[in-house]
Amino acid sequence: MMRASWHTMDRERSIRLRSIALIAAALCVTPQTLAAQDMSFDLNEAEAAEAEKPAEGEKPAEGEAGAEGEAGAEGEVSAEAGGDVLAELTAEGGAKEEASGPTGPREQEVAEEIYAVQRMYVLRNGRFELAPSLAMTVNDQYVSHPALAVGLNYWVTNVLAVGASFLWYQGVESESDLNFSIRRSTRLAVPITEYQLGAHLNFTYVPIYGKFTLFNDAIFQWDSYLVGGVGMMRTRPVAVVDPAVRSFDFDWRVAFNAGIGLRVFVTKYLTVFGELRDYIYLEKLENLEVALGADREDEATWIDENATLTNNVSVHLGVTLFFPFGFEYRYPK
Amino acid sequence: MGKTVTMTAMRLVVLCAALLAGLALAPVAPRAHAQDIEVEGPLAGAPAVIGLRIYREMRFQIQLQGTMTLNDEFSRSILAGGQLMFHPTDWLGIGVWGGFGLASIDTDLTDQVKERGQTNEVNVLSLPRPGGFDDQIGRIQWMASPQIQFIPLRGKLGIFESLFIDTDFYLLGGVGLVGIEERAEVTGDFFSNCRARGELGAQIQCLEATQSERETRMAIAPTFGAGLSLYMGNWVAMTFEWRAMPFAWNTSGTDESGNSRGDFPDDQINSDDQLSHFNHMISLGFAFYLPTEPGLSHMDEDE
Repeated sequence: MMRASWHTMDRERSIRLRSIALIAAALCVTPQTLAAQDMSFDLNEAEAAEAEKPAEGEKPAEGEAGAEGEAGAEGEVSAEAGGDVLAELTAEGGAKEEASGPTGPREQEVAEEIYAVQRMYVLRNGRFELAPSLAMTVNDQYVSHPALAVGLNYWVTNVLAVGASFLWYQGVESESDLNFSIRRSTRLAVPITEYQLGAHLNFTYVPIYGKFTLFNDAIFQWDSYLVGGVGMMRTRPVAVVDPAVRSFDFDWRVAFNAGIGLRVFVTKYLTVFGELRDYIYLEKLENLEVALGADREDEATWIDENATLTNNVSVHLGVTLFFPFGFEYRYPK
Repeated sequence: MGKTVTMTAMRLVVLCAALLAGLALAPVAPRAHAQDIEVEGPLAGAPAVIGLRIYREMRFQIQLQGTMTLNDEFSRSILAGGQLMFHPTDWLGIGVWGGFGLASIDTDLTDQVKERGQTNEVNVLSLPRPGGFDDQIGRIQWMASPQIQFIPLRGKLGIFESLFIDTDFYLLGGVGLVGIEERAEVTGDFFSNCRARGELGAQIQCLEATQSERETRMAIAPTFGAGLSLYMGNWVAMTFEWRAMPFAWNTSGTDESGNSRGDFPDDQINSDDQLSHFNHMISLGFAFYLPTEPGLSHMDEDE
């Protein structure tokens, strides 16, 4: 049953291809408007098929090929519909087209040279992206720095965004057992720090995008992006060498960040994402030396004079919400 | 104060969870979306892709891999190995994976203990000589695993809108076997004899030799992970893989059993000192497929 259906559909599509090719040639469609097909599979076929029956309440003029789909459904392949190749390819009424269109080897040659311009699944330029997430430290064995994070990006182009992110750490951090074990077994104090918050400005660039099929059924669009920027973090040392005397207040540090992420589109406005980001800053650690006498109480002796380059590598898992939810393509499909 | 902070954090967690749940349950926009589309008409029920290259079905995969362990406390292991898989379908594979330790790279913490660690009456068994700490830490010698691969996602990616590569994403699971080298067992009787020598210096001299004595054993552990294949041709692919293998071992070679409120130390080095670790690693590999020509999906239906 399935096989027969496919066979019929393929034949009709082939006939339509030939007809459209001839019309296209007759109308002198400039080749500059046609680009090579980048991806060998897409939802274009499925979307075009759906366009034959526009969704209820959906205005055909919204650019999802609704108008073209309707025309195609009636089998009126004409000059007016000539710009919509994909809708025509999947339109009903192949027999009419076969009758009205001339046939011959020349048509077939032209048809083979027609390529479809594929749309991007989502247009991002001019839209905002809100990204709440949970962050977890992956490179600090002594203290975990989980955080509640939120980011806001504005997409300047479809591949470049500027934005800001905010992370709150205090209250959800925890010291690992390794610290205790090291102190107990080797009498070595490892200086550790506590974070309160981070606020960063960053750029996002999307160099890689793709799509996955799930068992050759559902299709997921995704992209991979690079992110980087600069910001501030509020941190303080945790007193482990001389906790009876020392205590520390939070202070601001300048922090750079760089990372890579993966975003999977659930809908055209909702995605889930995972991101690996390194927050790099100069940390002031507790002094491992304890001054003797009255100097022990001197706060100036509590902090190590040398700043330590610190990498806080975090994994972010979250969702992003693009708004406005809808967008319009510049050209009809 | 601490309770207030905890409550604030809890509220933030609840708020964040509610936000995520709200977004997940948000009504879908009336416009059609590619991901949730229900196709009608002649394409109803059609597969997403016609003529998809079937890279795995009924093919063997021979893979050469380099593996590095992550987040190690005292020593990072570099392994060279590979895997041999057979795929009865495009979404399922069975086979074996393994690797041998080429090198161990000590972490900064190991260097810090060697330079700054201190030995006294309490920890003399754990650290007889700080300078010899790198001799007592645990190291991975080899790993192996019969495993199953599950390949649910197949697709392609474009890089800078110019280079397009077939890819697949896979999950793996199996039973891991790990060859471990750890500090040899030190019995309570032996330690008592050393302690009976009196001064700390004499005890250190007695225990010094135990610091570099080694024992090997095989640990059995579950293993699971995920990976990405980038197909560079019909028969070759580059793979990135993350794998976890949680098991218990004595990474530091120290006396860990007991706790500070009661029976620590128990004055022995034995299996009680093997603590659970979430050992995980990343691999980079090149996979070769036999036979060298992949199949094509649904081509019989398209004819």
